[in-house]
Amino acid sequence: MTENEEYVEVERDEFRAYCVSLCAERAVMLRLMFAVDERATDNCFKVYAVFSGQNKDTFYIPFFKIKEDDPKYQSITDCVPAAHWYEREIRDMFGLIPEGHPDPRRLVFHESFPADSHPLRKDWKISETDLKEWGEGVVKKVPHDFLKVEGKGICEIPVGPVHAGIIEPGHFRFSAVGETIINLEPRLFYTHKGTEKLFESMSFFDGIKLAERVSGASSFSHSIAYSMAVERMAGIKTIEKIKAIRTFLLELERLYNHIGDIGYMCAGTALMVGQAKGALIKEKLLQLNEKLTGSRFLRGINKIGGVTKDVFLQKFEISETIDMVEEEFKDLLKLLLGQAIHVERLTGTGRLPKEIAAKLGVTGVAARASGLSDDIRKSHPHLFYYKLDLKTYTRTESDALARMMLRADEVECSLSLIRALVRRRYYGNICVDVGEIPPDSFALGYTESPRGSLFYWVKSDQDGKPFRVKLRSPSYCNWPAVPYAIPGNIVPDFPLCNKSFNLSYSGCDM
Amino acid sequence: MWLEILNNVRSRKKAIKFPKTFQKSPDEVIETVTPVKKMNKVFGKSLRIRQVDAGSCNACEWECNMLTNPIYDVQRFGVDFVPSPRHADVILATGPVSRQMELALKKTYIAMPEPKLVISCGDCALDGGIYKGSYATRDGVNNVLPVNCHIPGCPPPPKTIVKELLKLMRGISSGSYPPKGS
Ligand code: SF4
Repeated sequence: MTENEEYVEVERDEFRAYCVSLCAERAVMLRLMFAVDERATDNCFKVYAVFSGQNKDTFYIPFFKIKEDDPKYQSITDCVPAAHWYEREIRDMFGLIPEGHPDPRRLVFHESFPADSHPLRKDWKISETDLKEWGEGVVKKVPHDFLKVEGKGICEIPVGPVHAGIIEPGHFRFSAVGETIINLEPRLFYTHKGTEKLFESMSFFDGIKLAERVSGASSFSHSIAYSMAVERMAGIKTIEKIKAIRTFLLELERLYNHIGDIGYMCAGTALMVGQAKGALIKEKLLQLNEKLTGSRFLRGINKIGGVTKDVFLQKFEISETIDMVEEEFKDLLKLLLGQAIHVERLTGTGRLPKEIAAKLGVTGVAARASGLSDDIRKSHPHLFYYKLDLKTYTRTESDALARMMLRADEVECSLSLIRALVRRRYYGNICVDVGEIPPDSFALGYTESPRGSLFYWVKSDQDGKPFRVKLRSPSYCNWPAVPYAIPGNIVPDFPLCNKSFNLSYSGCDM
Repeated sequence: MWLEILNNVRSRKKAIKFPKTFQKSPDEVIETVTPVKKMNKVFGKSLRIRQVDAGSCNACEWECNMLTNPIYDVQRFGVDFVPSPRHADVILATGPVSRQMELALKKTYIAMPEPKLVISCGDCALDGGIYKGSYATRDGVNNVLPVNCHIPGCPPPPKTIVKELLKLMRGISSGSYPPKGS
């Protein structure tokens, strides 16, 4: 347990009222919600909700106990809408039932997964036939009905899970009149790999490898958030040099993602020059990553208690690439903003209203482009961020163009942060001693990944082994907001909207 | 002109020479070109790939995306990614095959015309990699589709992917490649 986490136990029946008053009094939003199976020690499940706001570096964590024989609690979705996916996920994974939840369908599992089977329960077992039938997907065990939109001239367009481009799988159900979309219902979790359960069977030190592989394009952020949680559990204090290297690499990751995304959005408007140029700069940055860390996706560089290599030894390569990137990026932006067709297509496309974004707890670029100043680097300073001159940009237009321009602003910011970090000198080792991980401890790890805030909550068991790892990627809380940005747009603009959010499926599906 | 045409008709000379096989019925033609032969003929020079994400972590996808950037420009080798399985010669599957993607992967494979090849890309497509043993994965593409070729790496850098693809194409056209899956 650490300084900025405030755990409060409440009664199951008071949980809802407590959350409501917390939201109202402290101006906080729901960051994540999860359950833990503690039947072996405490003879109950525990459900935690993590709230935090922009003004104070404190996480308010109310939790309640719930017994196996009466696995019901009052849903908080109607007053805290951001909870709607979490509650459904908890029902799928633990079988705890949120009473009064507006959506009774399953979230993670598709039709052929057996009913009343909850993988994150410690005593969960599944038969070979059930597993086989789940994969084959022929026998439908629990129905999943899409929302029916009826009326004259409305047609339904199912898309996916395998899409035309080289992207991840997800199913989208459009209801459209002519070209205009009336409703969109996504069906995700095709890439569900049981990551959270897998974490429990690995040691803390191997877990970092898995964390890196939750979502490829934010590998480093995931490893940072995971290692941070474990380090906080063990009470390890890292030194300045490690913090600086980690911050530097985080910004590098943001840089290549944002530039890649800006370039990639051009694919949605068929502006091939822009796409090629964006891909070129991204490639340069990926090559820098490889030179610095040996991996194009910054894998294997972070470990618990430090990093494996002092990347600042290669200052020359860094500044060379950064200079080149800055120049090329200016060029790219000039090109994009000079293209009337490109700007025209992006303006007013995929508008996500501020109120909806706030209610659903949207994070990252999507939140900031909708006028919410949500930046966990600023509100909960960690690593080296409290020493840097960090600006939080927001935009109010809330359309695809705003998201693109916001990324452009953040690229500038990341470039200057990287320069500032490289300029300083740091002394000391690149890793500190890590002893045993204390038993029965738990902590939160977090960071701002390129897509938004990212959380890990890790708990060890009585032998100091991983007991529960909950991860919440930014895509998980941004996906529910996408359907609100789509209606009113035309079907061919959907890929563009999707790319402007650029969410990870794998990070969301876990 | 008329005279010329008349002459041509009399001498049975054709303006465009048809390959001999065209004098047979279409069904027969397909029979005479064996899958292996066709593979040598077609896949040796051009390869159309349908990429399917079967539960990957998306780093493998990004690397496949990078293949078409101006640096690797994989199209110059005759390799390209196509949107529909109907146009594809090869299915390039990434990820350990999550159970919820298994059916979609199989359906994509079935939708491809013969002859077809399967490439697994990335360590977790080989045997599940880091996800090995998870309840929600099939531990590798091999357990779902007949894999012909594997590209190692986590994720394999674009250079490796290009190299492996070219090796595959050369192997096919020289006839030394054993096409296991077809
Ligand atoms: S091989 Fe590695 S990079 Fe590729 S999908 Fe698997 S974990 Fe991700």
